[in-house]
Amino acid sequence: MYTFGIDIGSTTSKCVVLKDGTEIVSSSLFVGGIGTKSPFLAREEALKKAGITDKDISGTAATGYGRNRTEDADFNVSELSCHALGAHFIFPRVRTIIDIGGQDAKVISLSGDGKMRDFLMNDKCAAGTGRFLDVMAAILQVPVNEMEGMAQKAQKISQISSTCTVFAESEVISQLANGVEMPDLIAGICDSVAGRVASLAKRITIVPEVCMSGGVARNGGVRLAMERYLGTEIRFSEQAQLFGAIGAALYAFQKS
Amino acid sequence: MSVKEILGRFHEIAADPKAMKDKYLSEGREIVLVNYYTPEEIVHSMGAVPMGAWGADVKINEAKKYFPTFICSIVQSAVELGMKGEYAGAKAFIIPSLCDSLKVMGQNWKVAVPSIKFIPMTYPQNRKPEYGAQFTKAGYERVISELEELGLPRFSDEKLKASLSVYEEHNRVMNEVSELMASHPEISNQERSDVFKSAFFMLKEEHTALVKELINALKEQKPGTDKLKIMTSGIICDAPDILKILDENGLQIVCDDVCTETRQYRASYKEKATALDSLVSKFCDMDQDTLLYDADKTRIDYIVEKAKKTGAKGVLLLLTKFCDPEEFDAPMIRKACEKAGLSVNIIEIDRQMVNYEQARTSIETFRDLLNG
Amino acid sequence: MAEEQVKKHRTPPDPNSAKYKLGQIAAKAYQDAFDAKVRGEKIGWCASNFPVEIPETLGIAVVYPENQAAAIAARGFGQQMCEISEADGYSNDICAYARISLAYAKTKDCEGQQVPMPDFVLCCNNICNCMIKWYENLAKELGIPMIMIDIPFNPDYDVPESEVAYVKAQFLDAIHQLEKITGKKWSPEKYKEVMEYSGRSSRAWLAATATAKYEPSPFNGFDLLNHMAVMVTARGKKEAAEAMELLLKEYEQNHAEGKSTYRGEEKYRIMFEGIACWPYLRATSHGLKDRGINMVTTIYADAFGFIYKDFDDMCAQYCKVPNAINLEYARDKRVKLCKENKVEGLLVHTNRSCKLWSGFMPEMSRQIGEECGIPVASFDGDQADPRNFSEAQYDTRVQGLTEIMEANKEG
Repeated sequence: MYTFGIDIGSTTSKCVVLKDGTEIVSSSLFVGGIGTKSPFLAREEALKKAGITDKDISGTAATGYGRNRTEDADFNVSELSCHALGAHFIFPRVRTIIDIGGQDAKVISLSGDGKMRDFLMNDKCAAGTGRFLDVMAAILQVPVNEMEGMAQKAQKISQISSTCTVFAESEVISQLANGVEMPDLIAGICDSVAGRVASLAKRITIVPEVCMSGGVARNGGVRLAMERYLGTEIRFSEQAQLFGAIGAALYAFQKS
Repeated sequence: MSVKEILGRFHEIAADPKAMKDKYLSEGREIVLVNYYTPEEIVHSMGAVPMGAWGADVKINEAKKYFPTFICSIVQSAVELGMKGEYAGAKAFIIPSLCDSLKVMGQNWKVAVPSIKFIPMTYPQNRKPEYGAQFTKAGYERVISELEELGLPRFSDEKLKASLSVYEEHNRVMNEVSELMASHPEISNQERSDVFKSAFFMLKEEHTALVKELINALKEQKPGTDKLKIMTSGIICDAPDILKILDENGLQIVCDDVCTETRQYRASYKEKATALDSLVSKFCDMDQDTLLYDADKTRIDYIVEKAKKTGAKGVLLLLTKFCDPEEFDAPMIRKACEKAGLSVNIIEIDRQMVNYEQARTSIETFRDLLNG
Repeated sequence: MAEEQVKKHRTPPDPNSAKYKLGQIAAKAYQDAFDAKVRGEKIGWCASNFPVEIPETLGIAVVYPENQAAAIAARGFGQQMCEISEADGYSNDICAYARISLAYAKTKDCEGQQVPMPDFVLCCNNICNCMIKWYENLAKELGIPMIMIDIPFNPDYDVPESEVAYVKAQFLDAIHQLEKITGKKWSPEKYKEVMEYSGRSSRAWLAATATAKYEPSPFNGFDLLNHMAVMVTARGKKEAAEAMELLLKEYEQNHAEGKSTYRGEEKYRIMFEGIACWPYLRATSHGLKDRGINMVTTIYADAFGFIYKDFDDMCAQYCKVPNAINLEYARDKRVKLCKENKVEGLLVHTNRSCKLWSGFMPEMSRQIGEECGIPVASFDGDQADPRNFSEAQYDTRVQGLTEIMEANKEG
């Protein structure tokens, strides 16, 4: 039996085809989220890669901010529930998931059998989200995806103390003016995001294994800093961005 | 009227307080603005209409001249409305000094909205001993003399006594309807909110009459199918988007610890030598509130007990951004609820929200968690 | 308060100087509390504007969480302490002193400033209602009694009799409660002594801060930020009275000799409004000094002169501390300071931690600026959380203020 999961975010669309609730047959990821053609393209590609058509799908579940706008889904499921399912599928021993996306940060606590036990989301401030990294990257004129590589070259991680994005901006500029090296500064920025989310995470009892998901999880600088803050190893999978879609496909399997 | 019709009337009133204000003004009534625990009964006894001024979901522009960004938006938006003339025609605004933001609100109001007189109401925090009662009384007497100076009819204890009866009856029906609505899941959270919110914009005897109609009509109606029961807590819970998201997710508010909802109706009057003393006793007996000093933090136990008693499976804490009294209580509430096996979800809200997507995600997850 | 932080950058002070002695008094208060604890006595944590006369007369050792938090922040431990509270669920919008203190109540350790753990807390909300919530949580978390003196914000210019009566009754109640908790007894003779020392300290303080009227001022206003800790917490002690009198003597002498603790030429004289930005004391002070600006006065100069003739009068004084008074009274106090000390500009710290102090400051500073004909500049900062300040913004604002003051001089 094939089930289909689609995760329509604010900036990307992801799809997963799952066989019998145990095997990922294909996946796809397109830049562009709600209101673009990407959800459609992602769907087409995932089906094509799996070598199946709509008719072969027994159930489809949608998640992400755009989940209510898609008519193809049989179910729509909340993002965090999907993340929990997806993360547990990839890392069966995971108990804590830290998800840092473009707009918000979330921490999910799972019970031993993979059920969601508790969750927290960031407050209104943008400091601990991908948005903070985007703003800083724009100031430094460094592409976000190059931040990780540069952070690794840091000799002495600089301190970005401001939590307010506007203040952090002027702090970064004045550090630049004072001759702080770019890699040190970028490592400092990653550190600052991790610090903010770590204090959110600590509000839930952190039980290992811990894994990270969401777009920002791809940034190794943030992951390393998070390990330091939480004093525990953090698992990461290249499939972290697909957790939502995997979870949706699993949900569809459970319900079909 | 049918349940739907009555609820529709509550909604009209809650959604357009200005129309109510204009109606009362056209009837020749004086309007006095009130919020938090201002002595509405005094205003009522002096023939004026007390109207709640809890701000609104508006963009704050003018008030920024007076407030730094980190003052709560209830206070800021009320001043904004005042500056924009939304309260025009009101005689005075009685502002209590129960939190730091309310203290600064009073000071800024004087300058920002000089056409509506600021009347301070200074309450004691040490309200249990006799000296606390004395000080409360002195505060009420000051409010009375300011209202008289504004030309309202002279205060009489006799008339206050009559007003206390009106308020007592209102208290009673509000508690009754609150419980009754809990057993009628077909009433939406928006409708429930309207019943509470409209109380701030009507004379209490009129509100009581309408609530009684609702009670009678509801008793005739077969309760709808069960939903997921939750309790809410916070200062306000009236944002239509939040209420809609709760409704869409099949969550039903069965009880609350919300300042603008049932917290208003917990205390009653004790029999005393004068009506004014009875009114004093009501404030002094108030407890389980963020704004009132309580070293035992009984508000926290109250939430846990109330949730358990009403069968709520989780507590939704709507934390008003920059409300430090509420922020101080939040960690203890979370802990106490968790200990009691209640799920807690904390959402920061304010009167400036435009994007509710994060709140939606959070509420959906909360629903999933409760469905476990 | 934060004495060490300032000391690091200077030559060690003369042990016979007022500065040294005042620093010693502040340090000794912590030691006294530790010693009392070791002796098995009950000690308290006390709000800064709680009537110090009460524990002083009863001979009870107390420490001040606000001073502790300021010291922790000035020594660079503010952020890590704030983060401990935040991890417990406290919003970062909450006063940073409270966040630091609640973190200390949990960890019972911070090398920024150690204090003994309390057996009770003494709270007074005349500076803000945030104190109530903070102390409620301390009492609840630590399982100890809380004594609360409620001094409401007074919306009127004068203190009404009803308020004095209410406050007096609470003072008496607090004394009884403390007698019960500690087993110590109130002595009217001792109270009289405390009242006299407090009066002497206060008169000397008011006179010392008033020497700012001289041009140039015989002192750098940042000194006041350090010395005020003694005024708040220890003014009823003999040593405090003597040290304050010595401070006055030194300032007068400085004036006579044309000297000042402000190094460099005093080109501009400003009033600083708000609590110091303790994590950036150096940056904020240098930002002024580099431009020849001396902060000659702050509201502290006026606020801590507690002169009263008896117990009732003392109660009334406590109803007039800076954050308990209305816009007009607060403004007039500042206007007086500006005029007496020939202030040329007002620099306002919009303090994220203090809603009450900052909440009507935009209007108050506008009125002060108009009445005194001086420019006003404000900057965003925080008394203890280093994450809410931007040096670049501060610098730009101070520069703007300087340029207007310069233009005004050229007239």
